[in-house]
Amino acid sequence: MPLALLAAVLPGPPVCAQAAPVVPRTVTIDERLAAAAALAVGDRVLLAPEAGGPGDTVTIAAITRRGADPSEVARSEYRVRLHLDHLQRLAGTGDRVGRFAVASAPGVAPESVAAAIDAAAFGFRAYPAAAVAIETSATFRVVNRFHRAIGIITIVASAIFLLCITLLKVDERRRDVGALRLLGLSRATVVRAVVLEAALVSLVGSAMGAGLGWAASALVNWHYQGVYATPLRFAIVTPGIVAFAVTLSLGLGLVSGWVAAQRLVRRAPLELVGR
Amino acid sequence: MTLVLSARDVRRDYPVAGTPVHAVRGISLDVHAGEWVAIVGPSGCGKSTLLNLLGAIDRPSAGSITIAGRDVARLGDAEATRFRLTGVGFVFQRFYLMPTLTAAENVELPMAEAKVPRVEREARARELLGYVGLAGRADHRPFQLSGGEQQRVAIARALANRPALLLADEPTGELDARTGTEVIALLDRLNRDGTTIVTVTHDEELAQAARRVVHVRDGAIVDDVVRRPLPPAAPADGAARR
Ligand SMILES: Nc1ncnc2c1ncn2[C@@H]1O[C@H](COP(=O)(O)OP(=O)(O)OP(=O)(O)O)[C@@H](O)[C@H]1O
Ligand SMILES: [Mg+2]
Repeated sequence: MPLALLAAVLPGPPVCAQAAPVVPRTVTIDERLAAAAALAVGDRVLLAPEAGGPGDTVTIAAITRRGADPSEVARSEYRVRLHLDHLQRLAGTGDRVGRFAVASAPGVAPESVAAAIDAAAFGFRAYPAAAVAIETSATFRVVNRFHRAIGIITIVASAIFLLCITLLKVDERRRDVGALRLLGLSRATVVRAVVLEAALVSLVGSAMGAGLGWAASALVNWHYQGVYATPLRFAIVTPGIVAFAVTLSLGLGLVSGWVAAQRLVRRAPLELVGR
Repeated sequence: MTLVLSARDVRRDYPVAGTPVHAVRGISLDVHAGEWVAIVGPSGCGKSTLLNLLGAIDRPSAGSITIAGRDVARLGDAEATRFRLTGVGFVFQRFYLMPTLTAAENVELPMAEAKVPRVEREARARELLGYVGLAGRADHRPFQLSGGEQQRVAIARALANRPALLLADEPTGELDARTGTEVIALLDRLNRDGTTIVTVTHDEELAQAARRVVHVRDGAIVDDVVRRPLPPAAPADGAARR
């Protein structure tokens, strides 16, 4: 955090007037803690390694918002950030760091930075952020596959269902189809009309479905972003998903319409109208 | 006089397991341009079967049927379909109008299939609906029309592609006496204006209106009475049609 910004968020006179002016150190807290403890930027709080024990008075310099990281969504802990030296002093374990992040300059490949660090010193193991992300998201990838399996089952089941519905709906029109054939409309004309109608219905249906999906995902996001206080999007409707849905529905409509129409035009017109 | 229809020894057997049904047993019939023939007979005697054969809806087991010079009995499915579209007009007992189309669109339907240009078929639909007395109902859908009005739309539709012959199976069968009379009057006017008509009916009033009555029993013609001969100045062009 730039010093200028730190200075800006440190208003008011020093706490101790007579001693050497002690400027309180600054910390940041996350939104969740701010909400739970009713804290705001500029508030002074006691920061101690143990509850009720001695500690430092610190100023809250900023309130941070959590990133959209699925691995953090379900954690209910609070997050406080302080300067490294301050943390070391408070914890009484100077010079011990579990892990830290190194930002590479723009245009430098993270892999080469990691390799350079690994080569520079023993006792380090550097990973590019992407590798860490992959490592920590293994669970989500399993969940994702599970979702995909559910999606495929749903699509196959509803495709069969829709095919049957189309067959039934078209079959309901067999008297009309029979009448058209009696009047001299060719098989091809009847099939074309049925397929065209099925295609239109499936286009309208998929547009409605995409709209419904978008509304549902907005509702899900609104609800769970509130519950978990995260900007993470839990459900998304991407253009790719919409394109897939429309293509699938149109394909299904064309195939089921064609099959249904073929079933009808193969029968004798007199049989279709039931005499 | 021009021969519009000529059927020779037409038979239709239904291959029912056990004893096959001989619905039509050797019927021969000639119909000339401008005639109106009513085929009457008891239920089940084969009237509808015969009319379906004449209209290329069904194919005879034996015999020949020539309509306007075409051998209808030997047509393949696609040719028979085409013949139903342009060669004959069919009026059904149950109208068979498309419920989602307006009266005008119903009349235009066979013309659209026959690739008649839009402007032409709209004009013809208007003309035909005017002729059957439904000019003001062109934009109404079947459910907004009475049974008699629906049947008149169906008659207009049957005439759309200027067929050589109008076939009607019990056209008054679903109608009450008054609307039935309207339909009979329309058929009479059509016939006087030159349309050749063959109807099948139980309706005594309809049979009385026809020029000629053919009695059928057990699949064969038992009587053939000309009640009103064609006027001497019969239409000269033969393809007398509205
Ligand atoms: N698809 C069919 N299969 C078997 N028999 C049939 C079939 N269609 C008609 N028939 C039989 O053929 C005979 C003639 O039937 P058709 O429908 O031509 O009679 P119809 O004279 O029109 O009778 P109605 O006046 O009651 O309409 C009847 O005995 C009928 O049972
Ligand atoms: Mg009948």
